[in-house]
Amino acid sequence: MNAIATDRLSLSYGKRTGIEGVDLQVPQGEIFGFLGPNGAGKTTTIRILLGLLKPSQGSAQIFDQDCWSQSAKIKQGIGYLPGDLRLYPWFTGRRALRIVSSVRGKDLSVQGQELLERFQLDGNVPVRKMSRGMRQKLGIVLALVHEPQLVILDEPTSGLDPLMCDELYCCLRELTSAGATVFFSSHTLSEVELLCNRVAIVRGGKIIADETMDALRKRVHRSVVLRYRDAEVAARIVMPEFLQLEQRSDNVCRCLLTGTTPQLIAWAAEQPLEDLSVSPPSLESLFRRFYEPLETSV
Amino acid sequence: MIKGILRKTLYETWVLHFAFGLALFLVGMLLTMLLPQLEEGLNQFLATLPFIRTFIQALLGDDFGGNINADTLRAIVWVHPTVLTLLWAHEIVFCTRVPAGEIDRGTIDILLSWPLSRRKLYVCETMVWLAAGLWLCGMLLAGHGTAGVFAPARSVHSPRLPLLVVGNLYCVYLAVGAVTLLISALSNVRGRAMAAVFSLVLASFLLNFLIQFWPEVEVLSPLGVLSYYRPASILATGKVPVADMLTLLGIGSVAWVAGLEMFGRRNICTL
Repeated sequence: MNAIATDRLSLSYGKRTGIEGVDLQVPQGEIFGFLGPNGAGKTTTIRILLGLLKPSQGSAQIFDQDCWSQSAKIKQGIGYLPGDLRLYPWFTGRRALRIVSSVRGKDLSVQGQELLERFQLDGNVPVRKMSRGMRQKLGIVLALVHEPQLVILDEPTSGLDPLMCDELYCCLRELTSAGATVFFSSHTLSEVELLCNRVAIVRGGKIIADETMDALRKRVHRSVVLRYRDAEVAARIVMPEFLQLEQRSDNVCRCLLTGTTPQLIAWAAEQPLEDLSVSPPSLESLFRRFYEPLETSV
Repeated sequence: MIKGILRKTLYETWVLHFAFGLALFLVGMLLTMLLPQLEEGLNQFLATLPFIRTFIQALLGDDFGGNINADTLRAIVWVHPTVLTLLWAHEIVFCTRVPAGEIDRGTIDILLSWPLSRRKLYVCETMVWLAAGLWLCGMLLAGHGTAGVFAPARSVHSPRLPLLVVGNLYCVYLAVGAVTLLISALSNVRGRAMAAVFSLVLASFLLNFLIQFWPEVEVLSPLGVLSYYRPASILATGKVPVADMLTLLGIGSVAWVAGLEMFGRRNICTL
């Protein structure tokens, strides 16, 4: 069973398109990355999943239940951290846990205290006196405290220091090893690359890629830097088919290797080169190309 | 589940209920004690400035006959602008909290991430609002009663009469509050919702005065909420104002159900 399944999900804000024809299948037990630039439609999709927005077309289901009509029931098993987290100013860690325990109908004080300690958060400080990072940590505690079956996190690491980011990743891995699913929305590639098994990339309200991280890595080309003896030679060089020229400046040419390494070595041996370097595959370049404006994208 | 939300709502609002309750108690007590003492002075005043009579009639929603007597002045306690302002201010503040206030400050995302339907949330707010109305009307009645201990009325009245008036006032509270909940359910900005309700109650209040000076607009009188709240008539006749109370309850019920449906069906957008 899929934890999340959407079918041609669309929503418009008046004349502006929020999302259009979004199809997602997130299997149980996965950490699913949802990547896209600001305003791409990530939060709109999440808000539909949480029953805050009603799709104008298509359907969204969580654990085979409709996200709009069964919203309250679904949320028993969901932990959610909003992207723009606002908490009640009078909340302290302990007070918030008491309220959440009452609402969820089970005592969460023990698990809550453990999480507060893990995220080094004082349970007696009110939100109005908290820094942004502390508020974010409290939001994470409230999203994870009931050990949800599905965790939906909208840019959860904003405001967190690197150590707390690691702690969050650790918590999420523990949750997924216990069978839970994590839907991780972000615009930062490095954390998605570090954490997720699978990623969907959204841009302009549409899903433009939905693949495993391994499949994406295979699509990544290595970057090659060719340094010629002089600029005149570099300017005259015609690149072979397996090298895609990206930038030429003075005696340096930066290319993408679309062919094999032996092909490159054989060709380079006959070139008047001073130096040659091949960088390891980087997803960054691929994502940059995904993020580029529609007319120039891959 | 409901216990948790009630706990949260009460935690956020108990000071509001307490402060307004105390204020109504004091106002009820002071007006009951002080107004009858103005009887002689006011009648002299009426003889020289007859338009004051029109103002008092507008306030009471009824013609009080020849001279102002202690009973008329006691009736003013229940319609005094201070009393109505306190009651309506409480409603405007409380009933615009959810959903307009929660959307406005962005906390609705956390609230609705809990396993709670919007309808249940609306019902929880309603429960606190209804209880707060009983508390406020009760405190006003208590203030009135306490004043009776210190400054007994010259004529003997049935204790049933103030209860009837407060019952009618509670119906006004229900109608205004339910309309406020409806406007809140339609709004994303609390300030706008508050301004809209304030305009409505102010218009309703002023309509009463306008009718006294400009009889042509009397046709609009059914639109004013104070047309269904006439304490002077209740105190004079002792009759239960069934039609008025049912009208107010009808307005309240329709507005409440409409608010519930709107909140249940609308998109929640905090961006």
